[in-house]
Amino acid sequence: MSLAEPAALPVATSAAPRLHVLKRFMGRFKASLPAYLLLLPSLVFLALFTYGAMGRVLVDALYQRATPKAPVRFVGFENISAVLADPAFAGAVVNNLIYAVGTAVPSIALALLFALALSRTHAVNSALRAALFLPVLIPMVAASALFLFIFLPNVGLLDYYIGRLLPVLPNWLGDPDIALYAIMVITIWKNAGYYMLFFLAGLQAVPEDVMEAAHLDGAGPYMRLRHIILPELKPTFLFVTVIAILNAVTQVDHVFVMTQGGPSNATNLVLFYIYQQSVEHYDIGKASAATLLTLAALMGLTALSFRTMANREGGP
Amino acid sequence: MLFSRRLMLGLAVAGTMAGAFAFPALAGEGPTEIDLFFPVPVDGKLARDMGTLIKEFNETHPDVKATAVYTGSYDDTLIKTRAAIKAGKPPAAVIMSANFLLDMQLENELTNLDSLIKADGTTKEQFLGQFFPALQGNAVINRSVYGVPFHNSTPLLYINADKAKEAGLDPSKPPQTWAELTDWAKKLTRREGDKVTQWGIAIPCAYDYCGWMMETLTMSNGGRYYNEEFGGEVYYDTPSMLGALTWWNDLIAKHKVHPPGATPGPAVSTSFISGNAAMIMLSTGSLTYVRDNAKFAYKVAFIPRNVRNAVPIGGASLIMPAGLEADKQKAAWTLIKWMTSPEKSGWWSRATGYFAPNMAAYKTPEMVEFLNKNPDAKTAVEQLDVAKPWFATYKTVPVRKNLEDEVMLVLNGKKQPKEALAAAQKAADETLKPYNAETSLKLP
Repeated sequence: MSLAEPAALPVATSAAPRLHVLKRFMGRFKASLPAYLLLLPSLVFLALFTYGAMGRVLVDALYQRATPKAPVRFVGFENISAVLADPAFAGAVVNNLIYAVGTAVPSIALALLFALALSRTHAVNSALRAALFLPVLIPMVAASALFLFIFLPNVGLLDYYIGRLLPVLPNWLGDPDIALYAIMVITIWKNAGYYMLFFLAGLQAVPEDVMEAAHLDGAGPYMRLRHIILPELKPTFLFVTVIAILNAVTQVDHVFVMTQGGPSNATNLVLFYIYQQSVEHYDIGKASAATLLTLAALMGLTALSFRTMANREGGP
Repeated sequence: MLFSRRLMLGLAVAGTMAGAFAFPALAGEGPTEIDLFFPVPVDGKLARDMGTLIKEFNETHPDVKATAVYTGSYDDTLIKTRAAIKAGKPPAAVIMSANFLLDMQLENELTNLDSLIKADGTTKEQFLGQFFPALQGNAVINRSVYGVPFHNSTPLLYINADKAKEAGLDPSKPPQTWAELTDWAKKLTRREGDKVTQWGIAIPCAYDYCGWMMETLTMSNGGRYYNEEFGGEVYYDTPSMLGALTWWNDLIAKHKVHPPGATPGPAVSTSFISGNAAMIMLSTGSLTYVRDNAKFAYKVAFIPRNVRNAVPIGGASLIMPAGLEADKQKAAWTLIKWMTSPEKSGWWSRATGYFAPNMAAYKTPEMVEFLNKNPDAKTAVEQLDVAKPWFATYKTVPVRKNLEDEVMLVLNGKKQPKEALAAAQKAADETLKPYNAETSLKLP
């Protein structure tokens, strides 16, 4: 509200403000009607396939059957507390945290390294960039099938080559201590090239004149990296980190293909836990409750990161 | 990517709607249209074979138009069938993993086939009498027929005959008991210092396979694994299962003739083909794969016993979901009977490697000729005499996983068999609790 408006208010009659507001609303609506009409098609699909599904999850999370033949009844927050009390869910959350940190940090570090090494464009670098980007183009399911053979105990590619060096060959996907890390290797291999693209784009935005000035002032490569390049890349870091964490929760194709959450739940991630509850246990209530919890965590995370980003845009 | 997936979904829905508008004109005059959901649990050629089979059916049955819909693995097929039932559009027939029938019946998702059998003028006994007796346990629930056996398997012992001869063993006299098998495995293991270059035996353990192998070992150790008559009990913490798991663990930890950890089925078969494992336990379903890929002489044999010869069956049955319209039910029943007839049953068996559940299939001239050419296909059929039903309980998959997670810990040397089985029993009892609350523990 501007400061001029309160002065105008006393002049109006008692019935007018309401009419005024309504008229203004109608006016505004009329003005933006074409925009709404243009948005309508995607709104319909969003409502059908995203908001509708979310609403259904919300409702399903509140109902449960006590026994197989009993009718579904309203249980309120019981499903959510059952999920929170389930050691398998806690295990999946812990696994997912290890997985998120263990894939985000190395893949971002590698991506930055690649981007710094290949920032200048010439034929060799273009070829190398293409090679590093290649894993991104392979669908996760196909990549998992490939790695299934690489990790094959005794006869797989990995054991074939490093088998001569190790006294005892590890069962990469069959040992609960190793399986999660084996899965993480695939994610890092697949995502580093993708994040490299963002860093390459970010590096283009580093002002040339500042770099030249630093060069003239005698700043070495490390000083330039530490004090110019990295601060300039801060928004890119933030963005890539959010993407990496979202990926860690939403991309579990390789778990489906390679381990099914096993051995002994060692590679069970949150999304796979939800799948197990709904499909294997046929427990829609618990699956919906776990979905809600995950959704809440992801939305909180996204909101936080957007706020941080907005602060940066506005602030110094 | 998300957007494009959403778009595709939208297009699919639009297509279905357009189809729904277009079709009513045809209904009533044309043939009855039915869907058959089918999984491909082994290698890819099955989908093409199914296409051939359904095409032949449609050509010989002008009043029915069946469409074969590929639905992924056994587990995926269960998911998709349940989704279709929930959406109010169940497929008319499904090839369903034989041990999911009880769970589906408990959830009221199956059509009772008794009245259809009666309408044909046959009795239940006559109808079931066509199939191997071992298969009936997974098709009959509370004395009513809910499934018709379509393709089935049993576990087998595969032996690399060349390696056996090298080790001075006679492959024509395969090991009959666990003691003999342990002895063979020791002789077939090759070491360079501490490193093993050839394993004596490998038994698969991944979700699904692990439970089936535990049932195999437990049964040949005299045990039952689960209560065949009632879906609320499993026998995990028992001497028969303890013996089975301890022996499996001994092969790894004590005798060091079995690769450590949990190894999935494909890794085990690859290991056998590459000569890295001299003996393996695998399903009959892998026989065609081994026959096509092994570059050495191999031999298949019964699973050795400790107490008795006994193995579980595997494979799938044809079922009809609940809530079908009468004309679709009739058309599906025609299809099911046609697919399980001796001729078709035998044809499917030769194409896939599963054995034909219909006993008369083995009397057809094509089958007699095939068995003369491939005598190894006979072993699975002979083993049927000692076969028993596949474990099926309320919530079969989670109850099985309760055991598998603990078995995997044992095979990785993280737990002792005794405490692992006690933990598995406790977890399974907890999973079965709601069903027991409604049945065995619901007292007047």
